[in-house]
Amino acid sequence: MTRYLRLFGLQFRTSVLLALQYRFDFFIDAAIGLFWTATAVVPLFVVYGDASRPGIPGWSFGESLVVVACFITLQAVLDGAINPGLQAVIDHIRKGTLDFVLLKPADAQFLVSTSRFQLWRVSGLIQAAIVFGLAFRQLDRLPSVFGVLSASLLLGVATLLLYSLWILIISAAFIVVKVDNLTYLFTSIFDAARWPSSVFRGPVKFFFTFVIPLAVMTTYPAEALLGRLELQTLGFAIAGSLTFAGVARAVWLQSIAHYSSAGG
Amino acid sequence: MIRIRGLQKHYRVHKRPPGVKAALKSLFKRDYEWVKAVDGIDFDVAAGERVGFLGPNGAGKTTTLKMASGLLYPTAGEVTVGGHVPQRRETEFLKKIMLVMGQKQQLLWDLPPSETFELNRAIYDVPRADFNRRLKELSELLELGELVSKPTRQLSLGERMKCELAAALVHGPKVLFLDEPTIGLDVSMQVAMRDFIRKYNEEYGATLILTSHYMDDVTALCPRVVVIDKGVLSFDGKLEELVKRVRPEKRLTLRFSAPVPREQVAELGTVVKHDHAESVLQVPHDGVNTAVARALATLPVVDLNVENPPLEEVMSELFARSRAEREVAA
Repeated sequence: MTRYLRLFGLQFRTSVLLALQYRFDFFIDAAIGLFWTATAVVPLFVVYGDASRPGIPGWSFGESLVVVACFITLQAVLDGAINPGLQAVIDHIRKGTLDFVLLKPADAQFLVSTSRFQLWRVSGLIQAAIVFGLAFRQLDRLPSVFGVLSASLLLGVATLLLYSLWILIISAAFIVVKVDNLTYLFTSIFDAARWPSSVFRGPVKFFFTFVIPLAVMTTYPAEALLGRLELQTLGFAIAGSLTFAGVARAVWLQSIAHYSSAGG
Repeated sequence: MIRIRGLQKHYRVHKRPPGVKAALKSLFKRDYEWVKAVDGIDFDVAAGERVGFLGPNGAGKTTTLKMASGLLYPTAGEVTVGGHVPQRRETEFLKKIMLVMGQKQQLLWDLPPSETFELNRAIYDVPRADFNRRLKELSELLELGELVSKPTRQLSLGERMKCELAAALVHGPKVLFLDEPTIGLDVSMQVAMRDFIRKYNEEYGATLILTSHYMDDVTALCPRVVVIDKGVLSFDGKLEELVKRVRPEKRLTLRFSAPVPREQVAELGTVVKHDHAESVLQVPHDGVNTAVARALATLPVVDLNVENPPLEEVMSELFARSRAEREVAA
């Protein structure tokens, strides 16, 4: 455990060194991040701007903003901590350079997952904090301490779910090699997480709750912050995400056996 | 140290003729064929031994090395390295070995090689004092100097390859699989690499399997060679024996002080090359002394040289024979 913490520290240090080499990325990332934040918030003004429209059932404008803030937080975590390392795996598999990871006496999933962080994406977290602030100002109240704690826990759960989904997609790359389209599809689907889950009905709601659990990722943390999430739901979310992570781990281990080490 | 028995690796590959029609057809119905990359090979390598693993492109060399280093799972057969089954990827095993691939790199592209060394130190759990000592030795042997602190992307191919070797060796592996380690390097860098590999083998007692298309690498480093072609072993023994078996003649080069007609030279052996000032002949092993004595007695010889035929020729003849034998068998 200590060894892996030390390894994590070193891999993180490498990312810091890389980030400092390209310092202008911070400003570029911040500008692009602002644009994406705007695209996440603007649709809410369209939905709630016209008083004649019913809005989203069960969600006021301020409450929907909390969901958007959760979405921006997760987007920053996805872009900054999950995507860079795992996206590189697809390239490693195609070029055969995953050899070097598999030859190392450390867990390969750990090594690829911590190999790269886009530190400048921390700007997304700052933008999320601003949207959280605006949302609770609109609601004219503050979240409870329990609400903040359970929301933080649920955002952790959401991160684990996102990570596990990525591991499953990457695992497919061992067999089909070109999974770029799958990653684009996943990114597009994840976009739906900016809306409270009550906008989805029927089979779509089922799909976004149990197959790709977007509801767990953004709606549940928002509900926790708003003080209306049942404790039971929190328990189910944690148990579900741990199961998901276990399945992803098993699939990853199986997939390594299919590695064909391209080239040479 | 390395034990390989009945090792096989078969792949199922999609087979498609060229053209749009075939491409469209393959969307719905695909034809597959089995490729026998390695088809039942056996050999052992003793601790500290240096073995050349030779064969034409696609012979199964790299596939064998990848199975021995645990990257690929064999279809059948077994391989053990230092008592470990590579596919289990046990930490102890992975700390003992390294696969160096001339065509792939592990150095972090945008950072100096020293960062990769440091990362590998942590991954391989090398104590700081051992790491510093070994890195100092490697830096001296490979003459790394300031290279380790320049970003990798600014290094030349040769400089990068030196640093790749250092990155691969900071944990002091006891078994080295070297897959084309000198590919693309200029002649002086190839010589430097060979010197380094030999010194590493001698100083660390490391077991070494080398694949290379440069026969000079093999001649300089490997007293023993294992030859593989189409996934099957065709020779395992001393390099000299291979040369003797495939080309049982020596090569006699004569330089003259005055022009000599070809017919006169042909009396000594088979003429490979001739101009009036120089002749290259092939002479049976047991006839070399007689041929040399006759040349000195009857021709205006100013210089002579007796050597084995170039290994490139030996190998290409061996592969041609293997192909012919397979065609006859088919």
